[in-house]
Amino acid sequence: MFYRRAGIRHTSYRSERRLWPLPFDRGLVAAVVVLLLVAPLVVERLYLIGYLMPWIIWSTAALGLNFLMGGAGQIHLGYGAIIAIGAYASTHLARAGVPFEIAALGGGLASAVIGSAFGATALRVKGLYLAMATLAMQSVVDFLITHVPWISGGGQATLTVPPARFLGADLRVDLAAYYVALSVCAVVTLFVLNVGRSSFGRALAAVREKDYAAAVIGVDPFRYKLLAFWVSSFIGGVAGAVLAFCYYRAISPDQFHLDLSIQLVAMVIVGGLGSVLGPFFGAALILFAPILLNQAVGALAAAFGLGISADLRAHLPLVLYGALIMGFLLAEPLGLAKIYDNVRKYFLVWPFRHAPR
Amino acid sequence: MTGEAARLLPSSAASPGGTEVALACAGIERSFGGLRALKGVDLEVRRGEIFGLVGPNGSGKTTMVNVMTGFYPPNRGSVRLFGRDITGTAPHAIARLGVARTFQNLALFKGLSVLDNILLGRHVHMRPGALASLFYWTWAEREEFAHRRIVEEIIDFMQLQDIRDEPVETIPMGLQKRVELARALAAEPSFLILDEPMAGMNQEEKEYIARFILDARDERDVTVFLIEHHMDVVTAICDRIMVLSYGEVIAEGEPRAAMADPKVIEAYLGHRAASRHAGARP
Repeated sequence: MFYRRAGIRHTSYRSERRLWPLPFDRGLVAAVVVLLLVAPLVVERLYLIGYLMPWIIWSTAALGLNFLMGGAGQIHLGYGAIIAIGAYASTHLARAGVPFEIAALGGGLASAVIGSAFGATALRVKGLYLAMATLAMQSVVDFLITHVPWISGGGQATLTVPPARFLGADLRVDLAAYYVALSVCAVVTLFVLNVGRSSFGRALAAVREKDYAAAVIGVDPFRYKLLAFWVSSFIGGVAGAVLAFCYYRAISPDQFHLDLSIQLVAMVIVGGLGSVLGPFFGAALILFAPILLNQAVGALAAAFGLGISADLRAHLPLVLYGALIMGFLLAEPLGLAKIYDNVRKYFLVWPFRHAPR
Repeated sequence: MTGEAARLLPSSAASPGGTEVALACAGIERSFGGLRALKGVDLEVRRGEIFGLVGPNGSGKTTMVNVMTGFYPPNRGSVRLFGRDITGTAPHAIARLGVARTFQNLALFKGLSVLDNILLGRHVHMRPGALASLFYWTWAEREEFAHRRIVEEIIDFMQLQDIRDEPVETIPMGLQKRVELARALAAEPSFLILDEPMAGMNQEEKEYIARFILDARDERDVTVFLIEHHMDVVTAICDRIMVLSYGEVIAEGEPRAAMADPKVIEAYLGHRAASRHAGARP
């Protein structure tokens, strides 16, 4: 249909290794980019700030986590702590007078250093043990942030983010904040896409699949696992800085607890491990499915005049939300991105049944 | 052959099958708990030869390879590669010195295409990095394509053209073994270790692999260390062999002569068969 092509007709390595070899895909990507660029002009402020912004920022964070989990095959249950380190480090840097551009990178660097220091100790173990070790990191960081007044501002304090500018644009203005979040997301997305087609990404995939075979071709498994922790934590830290400056504008420890880490892992897994599209789908589902289901249950109850109790009214959306996630994973264990890919491949060769590649 | 490997080789390179020693193991001992898998093994592989290591199941062949490639550092003894002591060196560092190997039970990277698997063989010659990936168009692309050209040559050499884009787990095992050999050759090794490259293959596939091994030695200046159970192949392509039994060397030398050694027959077929064999041939 839209995609159809017959055979593979690349005449150069460059055309074969393009990010989107099909014209339809390129058009689709361009359309999405244009939509996101003009969104602030056509979408109401409520939707821009309440829905689009969090989706973009959580997608960025989920991309960072997916780099580690899907790319290098290392589980991380403390990614919320990584984001917290980035948010707090950049906020403190900005309060000390450092411009936002550098403070955000500083936040990423702080996350990367602390994250890979934990990673180095955690990487002595594998699988479930690594999950436990990263969970411990989450607790340690939570505890330190809450109990060190110098970091959190004391007890249950909320730390206000100082006014900041990015390339001259005031981040307290929603429009500027939106475009900053969008550009960071675009850079991270391009990075992850390019890793997938370069030697760095292949080495990570080798470590993920069989670390002893990776060693035999000259890849140092420990070094690459650590690099994956470093890069992933850096992305998480920058996402934390963007979160603090463009979205929350005031941060407190309870915004970065374990439930955030679990949500991020859910985004990655529901979206599709190792896929670049996955985190976007996953973040959308995890963020919006509860809201939509809540409204749907309310609307249905009203439409049919059902006198459901307040308890049921409150919990039914959550039950449906859980069922939805299970349903998607039962249908396609590789996540929403794989479901999209299946549909795409179907149209790629329609009316025939088998897809090339 | 580039980089480290080239520097390791003296410029006055000996002719294939010459007397220069490529890899020397001396007094290798390795135990696992109470099991003594290797009990003082000495071996010398000369540059340019195809050296076979044979022996009954459990005789310590794969352990020997794991000692040579750094996975099991020996409890005692030393390993020297082109004169350099590599005892106790980590596997990835040994790979950088020009040693490549294949595994008895395939160790390809699932989820990647045949092409990407072979490209991974080029890892030791590439300079991967996160920043290079971020600025792919200016940093990484040219390097990618330069190595792609070399990989395509190997794909032609191993006759894998029509499956290069397939996910590696979807192709038949005989071809997977060939892909693994291609990945090893992509590193342009000076020393190639093949752990049962023909296990589970039919006669035609065996002949293919035997031909690839001979070509790799002749055209690519590779010294080959071969573990194999198919005795027809071993006697046909190996210059010298060594026979292991219970972690000890029981025979060494020209393949047919070594295989006819009474101790070898006893190790494979038992004491009675060996004495009957000895009786039949005065």
